[in-house]
Amino acid sequence: MNWLQQLFSRRRHYNELSESIREHLDEKITDLQDRGMSREQAERSARREFGNVTLIEQRGREIWQWPSLESIIADVRFALRQLLKSPMFTAAAVTTLALGIAINATMFSLVSAFLIPHLPGEDTEHIVAVSSVNPDSQFQPEAYPSSAPNYLAWSSNTHVFALMAADNEFLTGSLSEPGQQAEAVSYAAVSPNFFSVFGVSPSIGRSFRSGEDRPGQDHLIILSHGLWERRYGSDPSIIGRSVRLNREDYLVVGIMPATFRMLGFMPKLWTPLTLSAADRMAGARTNRNLFLFARLAPGVTLQQARTQMSTLAQLAQKDFPAVEQRWGASVRTLGDFLIYNFSIRSGISVMMTVVVFILFIACANVAALMLTRAVGRQKELAIRQSLGASRARVVRQLLTEGIVIAIFGGALGLGLSYFGIQALRAGLTFNEYIADVPVRLDSNVLFFALAISLLAAVLSSVIPALKASRSDINVSLKSETRGASSDRSHNRMRAVLVGGETALALFLLIGTCLLIRSVYLLDHQELGFAHDHLLTAGLVLDQARYADSVKKAQVVHQAVTQLEQISGVQTVAVASDLPASGANSIPIHIKGQPEARPNEENRAIDVLITPNYFSAIGLPFRRGRNFTASDDASGPRVVIVNQQFVHQYLQDSDPIGKQIKLDTDGAAPSWSQIVGVVGDIKTYSELPTVDPEVYESFSQRPVASFSILLRSSVEPNTITPSVRQVLAEIDSELPLLRIMNMDQMIEVQRNGNPLFSRILAIFAILALVLAAIGIYGLVAYSVGQRTQEIGIRIALGARTSDISNMILREGLKVAAIGSCIGLLIALPLPKVFGSIFQGLIVSAPLIYPIVLVAMLLVAFIAIQGPARRAARVDPNVALRNE
Amino acid sequence: MVKKPEFRDLFPGALELMILKTLSRKPMHGYALAQRIKETSDDLLQIEEGSLYPALQRMLKTGWLISEMGLSAKNRPVRIFKLTQAGRKHLEQEISSVEQMFAGISRVLALARQ
Repeated sequence: MNWLQQLFSRRRHYNELSESIREHLDEKITDLQDRGMSREQAERSARREFGNVTLIEQRGREIWQWPSLESIIADVRFALRQLLKSPMFTAAAVTTLALGIAINATMFSLVSAFLIPHLPGEDTEHIVAVSSVNPDSQFQPEAYPSSAPNYLAWSSNTHVFALMAADNEFLTGSLSEPGQQAEAVSYAAVSPNFFSVFGVSPSIGRSFRSGEDRPGQDHLIILSHGLWERRYGSDPSIIGRSVRLNREDYLVVGIMPATFRMLGFMPKLWTPLTLSAADRMAGARTNRNLFLFARLAPGVTLQQARTQMSTLAQLAQKDFPAVEQRWGASVRTLGDFLIYNFSIRSGISVMMTVVVFILFIACANVAALMLTRAVGRQKELAIRQSLGASRARVVRQLLTEGIVIAIFGGALGLGLSYFGIQALRAGLTFNEYIADVPVRLDSNVLFFALAISLLAAVLSSVIPALKASRSDINVSLKSETRGASSDRSHNRMRAVLVGGETALALFLLIGTCLLIRSVYLLDHQELGFAHDHLLTAGLVLDQARYADSVKKAQVVHQAVTQLEQISGVQTVAVASDLPASGANSIPIHIKGQPEARPNEENRAIDVLITPNYFSAIGLPFRRGRNFTASDDASGPRVVIVNQQFVHQYLQDSDPIGKQIKLDTDGAAPSWSQIVGVVGDIKTYSELPTVDPEVYESFSQRPVASFSILLRSSVEPNTITPSVRQVLAEIDSELPLLRIMNMDQMIEVQRNGNPLFSRILAIFAILALVLAAIGIYGLVAYSVGQRTQEIGIRIALGARTSDISNMILREGLKVAAIGSCIGLLIALPLPKVFGSIFQGLIVSAPLIYPIVLVAMLLVAFIAIQGPARRAARVDPNVALRNE
Repeated sequence: MVKKPEFRDLFPGALELMILKTLSRKPMHGYALAQRIKETSDDLLQIEEGSLYPALQRMLKTGWLISEMGLSAKNRPVRIFKLTQAGRKHLEQEISSVEQMFAGISRVLALARQ
């Protein structure tokens, strides 16, 4: 029987059922009368033996219904009526849930944007990233790029990888056109099969073809959609035209669609990757700069690819122990790799955990509210049960009310989260990769909001429903409308809920305060140098014009001399890396100390500087001398080290005159003499670590990529135009990577820490407020219930202070017990956070007592209102109020 | 207190099995069926007569029974419940599985007695 027929025939079935029952009773009555009973007796006995006719008819009908859809609709309608009848309760419950759901949905938009990344291409589950595993790296050791020889060896494994492409990301080039200011763009050099791995082709034009990675045929460009739109005004005729990149002509062959984007990778354009003969030699193994993306061969699983790659990595270790010792290889699915590489997971997970706890607190509040209301409805529920409603039926009715509240709360919460997400997005601009990811209220967020609304419904109404349905009907029906004191078991349950939510709130408060304090300490730590009044500009000298070191040294000298002429500029220096910005770490060897095994050498941060650097950043000299003009390419190699270096590697002995060997990339190791010692600088502005550091003289080993630092007597941003002008006069095609003062630079490096703290602070306040509301509700209700009892006490001579003390004691007891439990479960938090957040020192034992006192204080304030009301109870009114 | 109106099942499906068995001998109306089950089970099963009806509705819906008009012992027009082919097949299956179950239980009991 199909459902349509069933719908029409249902009424017939209902009638037949009633008929059958009536026939049954008639037959039985006649039968009993035949046996000598009176009509009345027979009727009574027939009905008794039959049972509850209404109920049985109801049961019989339900069989013909779809899973009681109709009764659910009836429940919903009834629930709506009930909720409309008590608007205060409804408003309180809906708002509380809405807050909890809004904050969850808002945070989940981050999960949706960053942890469920949009993957480009088709069949993305078969796209993997193959990375080297760096044995010494603390940051994402398993997402390290690989060397060209490894790429060539690995990509030939065609039975595991159908295709493997190499991607040299994070290149910087200058894009110029005649008559236009050169623009620095980040770009990627990719093997011609790169786009085929993803199965994406340009929306206009074509992809690179095989063979276009040969020198002479490689001057081709594929534009990203963003650059095409911004710089070329979405003009499709750009295809086939040539543009100047790094002072050479490149032919534009394609434009990628806007949907081709990967989290953390955002080149403005692509060129073919050319591997020279030298890149293929074993010597190129230390040059690890290629990200490898591959498509698994048909039928090959991720596990098989991993096994194969670890075999290959072991093979490389055996063949090239000097460079490959301890290095491994990892295979991750594309999505997994992007998330891991972006390393935003732990921050988001912590925030997500916090908001889920806040939702629990909100649910506990609503559950307590519902329990409160259930007391008032005991009679109604008892009547329903005595009329034959089963316990399951009553529970269902109450759950339906919970769901209706949660759906309203969810809708309101989703509305609020729209604004929350707007605010969040406005704050997510601290780096271009973050700013590039669209954070929005998408379908994932919608589904999540729906799911947590239902979860909230169950969490907040299941206890009250079970509790209410279990009450003894006889007692409920017989009892007076208001007893002298309230129902003990309900009160206990509510106290447990409120105590639990206080514990959770305290736990959250301690957690967020610990994190906020640690982040604050990091953001306000002494970096070791003067970062105010310091303007920085990043430059990259291209191979085309500045191939040899003499030319590099010349242009740097020229730039420094001319920039010093700008009025307001005090000192100009050049450094390969900015202070506290995480420079390169290189292996070093100190003469007279035993040689270390490969990959286990001592390491130091390596920075190349001009002599003015230390005075420009205000770093004090501890010993020895500064570099001088004579420390150039012709002079003997000299270095300056920091105090940490002397402490860690030379056991605080006098370092001046000691010889050390630096193993820098692309330069033959040579012995250098230590001539000076300077103070320590934090390695990263956002971490507390100080590493051993070696300063080389820039003119002894000029590099192509460096920063200019200008100490000014005026507000640094005011000299920006003059700096641009001077540099343009020296070389108009030389692109300025960025021009930013050091304080802004540090802000960028803090990478959203301030935002993180602000968000956590909001969470903490919300948790505290919800807990306060919970305690207030508990006590206020209890006062209302006990008005009569309080009246009797006052009539018998209790003083008002006795009464308010009694109420205070009651509320504070719950708050104190809850707080102590929260405090206990928060004890291991510093350790947990320490392991989640690399480099965050979480130790603040004082926070525990401070937060505990704050919580009790807030509880105390929340109880004041009801306590005062209790003390003002007029015994005459209270006792007459029956 | 509210009396639990539900039929206390001996084992799941016992009531349905008894209804099917009773009706397989002869189509009957509700009252006769109730009387018959009470008699044959020797009042072993304390059932409320009404609880037959939800079970009958369930079986009508599944298609094991059909109902048609007929006459009662007192010559009243009543609905007579009748087994369908599907109902008969289901009854046979149920009986054999119940017999297996009882055989199993007896063996276990016999073992326990030793």
